[in-house]
Amino acid sequence: MVRIKKFFRYDNIGLVFVLPAFIYMLVFVGYPILNNIVLSFQDVTVKNLAGGVKEFVGLKNYIEIFHDDVFIHAIYNTLIFTVSCLVVQFIIGFALAVFFNQNFGFSKVIRGLLMMPWMIPITVTALIFKFIFGTDVGILNFALQSLGLIQENVEWLTTPGTAMLAVVFANIWIGIPFNMILIATGLTTIPQELYESASIDGAGKIQKFIRITVPLLRPTIESVLILGFIYTFKVFDLVYVMTSGGPVNSTHMLSTYSYKLSFEMFKYSKGSAVANVLFLILLVVSMFYLKTTTKEEA
Amino acid sequence: MGDEKIIHGKKNIILNIAAIGVLVALLFPLYWIVVTSLKTEQEIFRIPPTLFPEMINLKSYAAQLDSGDFNMFRSFANSMIIAMGSMILAVVLAVPASYGIAKYKFKGRRIMLLGFMVTQMLPVSVLLTPMFIMFRNIHAYNTPFAAILADATIGIPFSVLILKNYFASIPKELEEAAYIDGCNRFTAFIKVLIPIAKPGVIVCAIFSFLYAWGDLAYGMTFIIDQQKRPITAGIFNFMGQYGTKWSYLTAFAVVTIIPVALIFIFMQKYIISGMTSGAVKG
Repeated sequence: MVRIKKFFRYDNIGLVFVLPAFIYMLVFVGYPILNNIVLSFQDVTVKNLAGGVKEFVGLKNYIEIFHDDVFIHAIYNTLIFTVSCLVVQFIIGFALAVFFNQNFGFSKVIRGLLMMPWMIPITVTALIFKFIFGTDVGILNFALQSLGLIQENVEWLTTPGTAMLAVVFANIWIGIPFNMILIATGLTTIPQELYESASIDGAGKIQKFIRITVPLLRPTIESVLILGFIYTFKVFDLVYVMTSGGPVNSTHMLSTYSYKLSFEMFKYSKGSAVANVLFLILLVVSMFYLKTTTKEEA
Repeated sequence: MGDEKIIHGKKNIILNIAAIGVLVALLFPLYWIVVTSLKTEQEIFRIPPTLFPEMINLKSYAAQLDSGDFNMFRSFANSMIIAMGSMILAVVLAVPASYGIAKYKFKGRRIMLLGFMVTQMLPVSVLLTPMFIMFRNIHAYNTPFAAILADATIGIPFSVLILKNYFASIPKELEEAAYIDGCNRFTAFIKVLIPIAKPGVIVCAIFSFLYAWGDLAYGMTFIIDQQKRPITAGIFNFMGQYGTKWSYLTAFAVVTIIPVALIFIFMQKYIISGMTSGAVKG
């Protein structure tokens, strides 16, 4: 009894506050992560899913997926998707952050309104862009035809190359506000005096940008890019609703392919193996992020 | 570039016009979905497209009132139950946890903090099959509880990481004053600290709600009956079955956006604070 009292006397009382949430996360996240690793080494089917004997098959699932063209293609797709989204949304987001950082009449109000695309459920975003990129109904085809850029309607979502373009486009639309607001916040931390003294020294706008803004914004830029990578790399809803990985698997990401294997083809173990590959890649990238953020925590 | 001086005159006008141009370009998709939901199916397919409906047509919304397999108002209610449940669960667990992490240096604190950070980066794919099996075993499968329990795993780590900063910034003296007034650790936490951290708690509640509201993967995997599914899964199902019924689909989409838009309009400052502190400080 005394020992228990002593244990809870000071700092350890914090455990009482933290444990409920921590245990919850252990049960509903920690255990599933481990379980998913186990599943990927077993042969799980509809029959033995909820109970019964699950046979261990060693690395069989991993060997099979690495011989699966769709899987290899999904890795490649996820990378292409992530990198193209990151580059474009970062550039546009950065430009808008700098633009709205100027103190004109409605700058803050309008910047606030631009956050909207980031907030709406991704299923809805996917539906909106499916509509805009529609072959006969889509306003994009109409606009391009009016401008004389295309002769007849493009089947954006049912042609392999253009379907990827459409999902990238939709994801950039979601990502711009995220990049903009984080960079905007970073900009406000740069002391105004630096720019003033640079002006006195005769620095031009571009010089100030390269010599002051970019170097001082480096931590922000790093976290925006790493976080952006993580969020984009695990994309699921957007692609699943817009194309479901099609046409002919041309837009499958690791997440959507894992879902297809598990919940459409009921090859649960293979799906788990694909998910673990995705997780491993994210974990490696997360390390970079955690390294930069945990320094200040301790 | 922090507090640049206020811009007046001609430059102000030009910048405002440019800003409105950006706004129109970026928010056009949202405008388009709203006007489309008010058109008739024939008008939607008309060429050239009309930028505004000839006549406001509410049929796409009204048609949903008849109960069918895809009653959007029932899906809306399902989503509301799931999002509220998940929000309450996340807040109740995360608020004390973030206080514990912010104010006490117990053993294992860093590893727990790291745990919360890592879960924030998890792809849903990793959790889907194991959760699927788990929910079947505990008989939560095909009930709202499955989605509530799963969605809270997104809200909790986010909330802990955000709120920890709020609690850390509260001076120790306030807490000590509460002890002198006869509070113990728990009553001080409830009576003194939570009220001070209230803006942070609101941010967490909003985001936990929004995460659950926007979820598709958990809702459609763990709930099978269309009548019980959240609205996002309803949209997805509807697309699969009636692919190009755009008048209904866009109405569905608009109804899904309404709560988000209301939160956005009335609580914008919390959202921006949540986005920036959550992401940058981690």
